[in-house]
Amino acid sequence: MTPDGNNSGGRALWRIFRMILGDQKTALMRGAALSLAVLVAGITLLGLSGWFITAAAAAGLAGMGAVFDVFRPSAMVRFLALGRTAARYGERLLTHDATLRALTSIRVRLLAATISAPHDVLVRLRGPQALNRLMADVDALDGVPLRLILPIAAGLAAQLLTFAILWWLVELGVALWIASGFLVASAATLYLAARTAANASRNEEAGSQAFRSGFIDLIRARSDLAVYGQLVRHGETVLATDARRQADRGRLDRIERRAGFALSLTGTVVAAGALALGMTLAQAGTITPALAAIGFFASLALTETIGPLRRAMADLGRMAVAAQRVDSTLASDRIEHGGNLFGETADLLIEELSFRRANAARPVLDRVSFGLTAGESLAITGASGSGKSTLLLLAAGLLRPDSGRIVLGSVPLDRWDETKLRSTLTLVPQRSTLMAGTIREALQLAAPEAVDADLWRALDAVALAGVVRAKGGLEFRLGPMGSGLSGGEARRLVLARSILRGPRLLLLDEPTEGLDEATALAVLKGIRKYLPEASILTASHRPVETTWADRVVNLNQPFSATPELL
Amino acid sequence: MSPRPDTNPKTDEHALDQLTRAVGRQMRLASILAVASSLIWPVQAAIVAMAISGLLGPAPGPGPVMTAAAFVGFGVARALMAYHAEALLFAAATKAVTAAREEIVRREMRATDSGGAGSIAALATEKLDAIIPYITRYAPARARVMTVPLVILALSFWFSWAVGLVLLVSGPLIPVFMALVGMAAKDASQRQMADIGSLNDLLIERLSALVDIRLLDAGPAVVSDFARGADQLRAKTMNVLSIAFLSSTVLELFAAIGVAMVAVYVGFALLGAIEFGGYAAALTPAAGIFLLLLAPDFYQPMRDLSAAWHDKAAALAVAGELAEWRKQSPAALLGQGGKTGKLPGSPEIGLRNVAVQMGDRLIRYPDISIRPGESVALMGPSGAGKTTLLRLLAGLVAPDEGRITVAGDALTADTADAWRARLGWMPQAPHFINASLADNISFGQPGDLDESLRAAAVGSVIEALPGGTEALLGETGGGLSGGEARRITLARAVFAQPDILLADEPTADLDAETAGLVMAGLQALAARGCSLIIATHDPALAARMDRTIQIGSCA
Repeated sequence: MTPDGNNSGGRALWRIFRMILGDQKTALMRGAALSLAVLVAGITLLGLSGWFITAAAAAGLAGMGAVFDVFRPSAMVRFLALGRTAARYGERLLTHDATLRALTSIRVRLLAATISAPHDVLVRLRGPQALNRLMADVDALDGVPLRLILPIAAGLAAQLLTFAILWWLVELGVALWIASGFLVASAATLYLAARTAANASRNEEAGSQAFRSGFIDLIRARSDLAVYGQLVRHGETVLATDARRQADRGRLDRIERRAGFALSLTGTVVAAGALALGMTLAQAGTITPALAAIGFFASLALTETIGPLRRAMADLGRMAVAAQRVDSTLASDRIEHGGNLFGETADLLIEELSFRRANAARPVLDRVSFGLTAGESLAITGASGSGKSTLLLLAAGLLRPDSGRIVLGSVPLDRWDETKLRSTLTLVPQRSTLMAGTIREALQLAAPEAVDADLWRALDAVALAGVVRAKGGLEFRLGPMGSGLSGGEARRLVLARSILRGPRLLLLDEPTEGLDEATALAVLKGIRKYLPEASILTASHRPVETTWADRVVNLNQPFSATPELL
Repeated sequence: MSPRPDTNPKTDEHALDQLTRAVGRQMRLASILAVASSLIWPVQAAIVAMAISGLLGPAPGPGPVMTAAAFVGFGVARALMAYHAEALLFAAATKAVTAAREEIVRREMRATDSGGAGSIAALATEKLDAIIPYITRYAPARARVMTVPLVILALSFWFSWAVGLVLLVSGPLIPVFMALVGMAAKDASQRQMADIGSLNDLLIERLSALVDIRLLDAGPAVVSDFARGADQLRAKTMNVLSIAFLSSTVLELFAAIGVAMVAVYVGFALLGAIEFGGYAAALTPAAGIFLLLLAPDFYQPMRDLSAAWHDKAAALAVAGELAEWRKQSPAALLGQGGKTGKLPGSPEIGLRNVAVQMGDRLIRYPDISIRPGESVALMGPSGAGKTTLLRLLAGLVAPDEGRITVAGDALTADTADAWRARLGWMPQAPHFINASLADNISFGQPGDLDESLRAAAVGSVIEALPGGTEALLGETGGGLSGGEARRITLARAVFAQPDILLADEPTADLDAETAGLVMAGLQALAARGCSLIIATHDPALAARMDRTIQIGSCA
């Protein structure tokens, strides 16, 4: 999932912004218009007040106070003051709400993309890292519209507008000094800070995620680490990760502070220059003292356009890194949805099936053939590594064979409609994960519509009803990762979950592992009774499973010799 | 973390004080610098007022170059002081938060059982980070609020009692509103924090179970479930924000009205249209401009404080949660879990009257003694407490009753690390750390990796992995089959050259042939004199042990 060369931070940021904009276009456009209104009202307010007081003072000194129009400027001052406040409130609510909505939909799309990744990617996915992407990365993206693009766009527009008005009202020189001073200095600061911040930001971000996943690892593996005397060392490593991250954060903070210092000086120097220019022009009699004051007051107000840049710069690196990752996950491979066909039966036919892992010398499966009809059960045996699990994955359509054919219900597996296929067959892998929640929730994950009676029937089939009843029924709450059940109980709950789906083809990878002989047999018989019509294919090595099955296929034996081939 | 419906503001306040106590001196120094920097603005305003009024005559003011130079000079001083105040505050915040984070890591790594890893990680990362803005923004803003407005008020009264009065009336209304809004903000912020925690917990589990979710075709249901949770979080976040926006809008409104009134009053007074509000002499143009420049800065500190108000609310919520975390005292493993010399003595094990509370059930174990080099199978129905017994023997949990002796000593915090240095450990559900396979076996210790791989019969498995022993493993060994992951834990145990091996269902998930290989590996360990204590359902494995101890049948 590493970003490729073309996917630069800037481009990813822009793509994310377009995604957010696409999701919430109207609200964001209105928000942008309001933020410009806020800036313009602020500049006008201060400029007007400065002009008004200076002009009033001049008129008062000249004894012209009685003919000076005080009402229009003072009404305008009040209107601008109140309008600006209202516009600011509206702008904040609008842009934040729109951004949060857009980010929520990005989060949901990210999870959907993560879930639909190919099986081999899912197997290798690490929970904490995926969590970081969904939560921290997406959180970092709120700055893209709120602190980066909207303030820069509105600030730029306000600068240009002020330039035009000052040129018209005051004088070109003053207008040019103010606009070029702000634009050049802030662009230079932004460029320098962004260049140095990107690296520190990337490191800080990586450190923060490393700390989080290291810490979660530490908590989850603490027993193993403790027994081998590695807990202290790993704890120190996790703390050292945090210390490095704090150092990077310090570097970032310094960059941000320096940028803040530079921007503060920019405001001071531009305002001082505007005042000096205005004074010179007024002393020469080119403009009135009141107009000279406008330039100074307007530049004081314009510092508001460069203020937000400071935060933007501090966050830029972090946003760029997050944008790259989110963008690449959203664009990554999905499972190919085969065809749109489906079969009426679940008769399984496997012909000359071969499969080889990437870069492996030896094929895992070499020209395997067998058939399985509805209501029949077949146990696949073979030494560890002989490809039993791989065969089940192939039959479930989660892997593609190199050669050979899998036909389910007289339709080739790769032509099946994905949803239909999942509801027709269910695979129970060797290791399944249970989640925190009640027994009912665990079961309803497989069958959301099932009522309690259905759930009890399934629990009964896997000889777990008694255990669940003793623990307090369907409301019994499992802890994180399904803790609260023993290994064998958890295994049976997983089996109950799978039969609840009522599959016509049930693929079971070592279904009774961790169960004693008697329970194992009871479970197998219960499953058959629950699903009398289903074809059941198991990968097995326990005698209890192979004797229970109607037929056995041994993968270690040459296939040409197996008699029951079609 | 669970939501905190009823919280005590005083306790939270106290918890926050406690968190920042160690950096109090730095915070005070920084606050003084921040206040000093704000007080430079009246000086700059005076320079500008004199310069502009000088243009109006009759008495000429300072020249353009003088004005600009003085204005810039004071501006540089102001920016420098602000810069140093920020640097001090950032260092203080880092120090306070790092200390709390270290405390969390150190306790959680030794806890035997606690809340979800996701929510504890959230507390240690983004939640603790919420303390930083409180120190860097809220603290200096509060210091400025208590000084700068008073100075500006005094200056205003000096020139015009009417302007002073406008500020005096509009000013105190602000804290009243802010207090009201602040209380609402804290509640909302706590609800939001609780939501982040539970959404994290929900997600981390879903993300670890993605394969199952796919197989059960529950993807759409999980996604829509998450969409609901994420949307709730958005709504709660928006609640917090809209309260914050409302408070700053109220402030801004007061500030805007105040400044507009000052501007209009000063304008009228300068025109001579208003006679009241000043003292004996009429308001001069310089004084008018000065007052106009000062008025916004009367409100600015209060606006800064209000912007930082939800920083305090968030910090209080986190401090409260941290205090609550401190209050719970989960059982910790015995000892530190560090590397240490081996406990001397012959590795005998004895249990006397040992019992452990498991939920609402007390598991009572038979008295057991295991001689050095003996191999013992622990058998019993599922859930009888076989795994817990192994954890007891490894000192990962302490018994609630009774006494465990190892190598002649009581198994206590003092002996546990040294005892574990003699153990090998094969858990039922291995958790692999995010590192290479080699690191997951050797944990960076010197030893004979190849020999352990041979003993566990995993050589061929590893050859099929990309990168061999350097392959990165998924957290529960993704990419390896159950039996393969199990054999990696055997290799890890062999690598440690233990005197006692504790194994939980070592042959589960294995076919007969591989189970045979694992048994051979275990017996090779036994032949070297290693005691084997093995929880199992497998009668074939139990038959190979010297004896079998039934667990759960003695009541």
